[in-house]
Amino acid sequence: MSRGVPAVEDEEEVPGSEQSVSAPVTQEEPERELTHEEFDPKGTLALILTYFAVLAIMWVFMYFVEFLGNDLIVVG
Amino acid sequence: MSVDQETFADRYPQEAELVRRAFLVAFTALGLGALFGIFQALHRTNVLRIIPSTDYYTALTAHGVLLAIVFTIFYLVGLYQWAVTRSLDRSPTNINFTRAWLTLMTVGSAITGVTILLGFVDQIGISADVLFTFYAPLQAHPLFYTGLVVFIIGTWLAGVDWFRTWLHWKQDNPDERIPLQTFMVLTTMIMWYIATIGVAIAVLFFLLPWSLGLIDTVNPLLTRTLFWFFGHPVVYFWLLPAYMLWYTVLPKLAGGRLFSDPLARVVFVLFVLLSTPVGIHHQYVDPGIAEGFKFIAMTNTMFLLLPSLLTAFTVVASMEHGARQRGGEGLFGWLTALPWRDPAFTGMALAGLMFAAGGFSGMINAGMNINYLIHNTLWVPGHFHLTVGTAVALTMMAGTYWLWPQLTNRRLYSRPIGLLQVVMWFGGMALMSNSMHVAGLYGVPRRTAEPQYAGFDFNTAFGSMAELNIQLAVGGTLLFVSTLLFLGNLTLSLGNPKVEGLGQSLPEPLSGAEDSPRVLDNMRLWAGIALVLVVLAYVLPLGAIIQNGGLFGTGGDAYPVSVLGTFDGLDAVLELLGVGR
Amino acid sequence: MHIHQYEKLWLGMSLLLIVGFIATITYGAVGVGVTMIDDSGGNVDPNALDEHPEFSDPGVEKVGENEYEAYVVARQFIFQPDPIVVPANSTVTFYVTSADVVHGFSVVGTNANTMVIPGEVAEVTVEVGEPGEYGIVCHEYCGAGHHSMEGMLRVVPEGEYNSSDGGEQ
Ligand code: HEM
Ligand SMILES: [Cu+2]
Ligand SMILES: [Cu+2]
Repeated sequence: MSRGVPAVEDEEEVPGSEQSVSAPVTQEEPERELTHEEFDPKGTLALILTYFAVLAIMWVFMYFVEFLGNDLIVVG
Repeated sequence: MSVDQETFADRYPQEAELVRRAFLVAFTALGLGALFGIFQALHRTNVLRIIPSTDYYTALTAHGVLLAIVFTIFYLVGLYQWAVTRSLDRSPTNINFTRAWLTLMTVGSAITGVTILLGFVDQIGISADVLFTFYAPLQAHPLFYTGLVVFIIGTWLAGVDWFRTWLHWKQDNPDERIPLQTFMVLTTMIMWYIATIGVAIAVLFFLLPWSLGLIDTVNPLLTRTLFWFFGHPVVYFWLLPAYMLWYTVLPKLAGGRLFSDPLARVVFVLFVLLSTPVGIHHQYVDPGIAEGFKFIAMTNTMFLLLPSLLTAFTVVASMEHGARQRGGEGLFGWLTALPWRDPAFTGMALAGLMFAAGGFSGMINAGMNINYLIHNTLWVPGHFHLTVGTAVALTMMAGTYWLWPQLTNRRLYSRPIGLLQVVMWFGGMALMSNSMHVAGLYGVPRRTAEPQYAGFDFNTAFGSMAELNIQLAVGGTLLFVSTLLFLGNLTLSLGNPKVEGLGQSLPEPLSGAEDSPRVLDNMRLWAGIALVLVVLAYVLPLGAIIQNGGLFGTGGDAYPVSVLGTFDGLDAVLELLGVGR
Repeated sequence: MHIHQYEKLWLGMSLLLIVGFIATITYGAVGVGVTMIDDSGGNVDPNALDEHPEFSDPGVEKVGENEYEAYVVARQFIFQPDPIVVPANSTVTFYVTSADVVHGFSVVGTNANTMVIPGEVAEVTVEVGEPGEYGIVCHEYCGAGHHSMEGMLRVVPEGEYNSSDGGEQ
């Protein structure tokens, strides 16, 4: 993926540690490298399960209360 | 850093110039569109009125076309030109061809744009107050449709250009996987070719000849159905550039790596397959289309949620990866380790958050029968200002903060202003979109210039219409100010001195392309299946519409919005140039 | 192709969500009996509504025990008839068509909501309850006067309903 604008290959550095050009200069560099095996997106799972719960609850509310509870249901 | 990194502008100066040119058109449209946006927000809430309500629809047409078509698609072609060149490390096969399609797109947009804006000047008699959906039998001036055709041909040629560059690259690299960004570009364009069949037929065979007086009538349900054949996939044409930024740039900004390249490919393939055979979901309450077809469109639409739900996971996981590499800990504590002071990062993250909310209102829209509740109410613009108006637009602006320095070799004028700008957009949109959703549930229609009706009042469950109107007006104002900050920041950046070392690399994904089956890169296969699905979804409904209403409808007049009525195309052109008549 | 187990879990849950949505909607259609506007209304020539047996004189008529049909014409920038008067606690079928451009027909604050497309007749059947008044709006842009296009649905007590009411303009 880094093709095109070649990266400076520096074995010591954490991949992706190069600062974003839009970041403040004082931004701290990543301090460690995590490979696919070492990384379990636990936080992501927690967030997304919360999202799932919100979606499910809101859907039930919108469908059964707001929609089916509304006047003049179209029946034909 | 020991060696200063080459930027895109250093390595590809000509291409960088074209990308800047595309962005220039995009941002001009953004500025104008935002001006009409605040005007609408203040007018339809009766806070401030500068022009009569009858001209509201000229503004609304301009707002829709400039933002949903010109801004988004010019940004797309700029971004995609950058992405193809960068990820293949290769110039276009013939840069003059690239120039040509960009010029064609610009000319087309200018023709359509000017035709719309002439609607403000009654004396000229030219108008295109038909909104960006141009439903017949309202009839725009022929130049409106002509510009559209020219613009779309330009986008087709852009796709040709990118496919050609890729094919040449493939000859040189026969065994390599398609680089992810190029993969995204190619799949998006396959979708676009399929999608535009609908609008091309509607405009070329029906609306344009009809506006020129060559045919007398059209079938309004048919042209409308052809529009929505195009109208749903176009929303993915807006979204996929944002997805490209989320998948390939956001992980870098977060200080991590993309979680999964294979899944990103799967997601884009799913969009190719599913984004077109669903357009009838915009016509759930249209007469003349059998319920069975609506049900099929509904199930397809629901499955189209899948790629976006998968994206949510992959993108958030890539951010979490960055946060953890930055030392973030805990189940939610890592969120604080993200680079929130980088406007590019924060803009994209907030855009993603709003997309999650917009996803929910989209699920309601998609829900066939529940669509009765919200169809054509203000809920709908409430929904799509979260999706195209924020998930896409804010991501594009945020992406610009990161791309612009690499395209110009100049630093951004002010990073804190950038940060303020993205946060202000988020806040403004939260207010505007919330009030629109709620007002929609109370039955307030979209696309109207007036906040109230003579014969009845809207019943509010809590709060009052006045409060909702204030919320909408304040939100719209914040959005407008945010747009000005964005444009101002970019303009002032041009005054910064040129420096070296602004180049950026993109990190390799955690799970790379080699983990995915090669069949994913088979473009012909996906295009073929997508076409079959479209045929299955559309042949019967279109056939029924033509059989019942006739190819050219059951009769009925045209309703030109131009005062002059129908006349031939040459006259129209001469008139615009100020010659003749 | 290896996929992280959390991702597999999320894939499963996403599919569950999708199937859940489809199931809810199917329940609404089959269980509750919500039907969609479809092609049952047939086609008309928008320029020949004057000669149409029903649309030439838009209004409400009684067609059965407690069943009424309301023929409504939408045109720039009015609904005919206005108001539409129907008796309480009845079944009303609206037949709505356009004499000119695309319009919308939405009984404000209710689920009765349809597009009105020239050449097509929208057929919408609803159960009307207690007496009351509802606004009707055109919710599709139909020209420079679109924002003034409104109507009224008046639900009157059974006893007060007079068959000539709905036909009045
Ligand atoms: C300055 C920021 C913005 C403001 C204040 C604003 C405001 C509005 C308002 C109030 C409406 C509703 C008009 C009505 O239905 O009567 C509207 C419609 C719309 N907006 Fe925006 N908007 C903004 C930005 C955007 C952006 C960034 C996009 C897309 C990229 C967008 C796309 C649209 C579209 C497609 C419509 C519908 C037009 C139609 O119904 O034909 N807007 N906008
Ligand atoms: Cu859609
Ligand atoms: Cu209207």
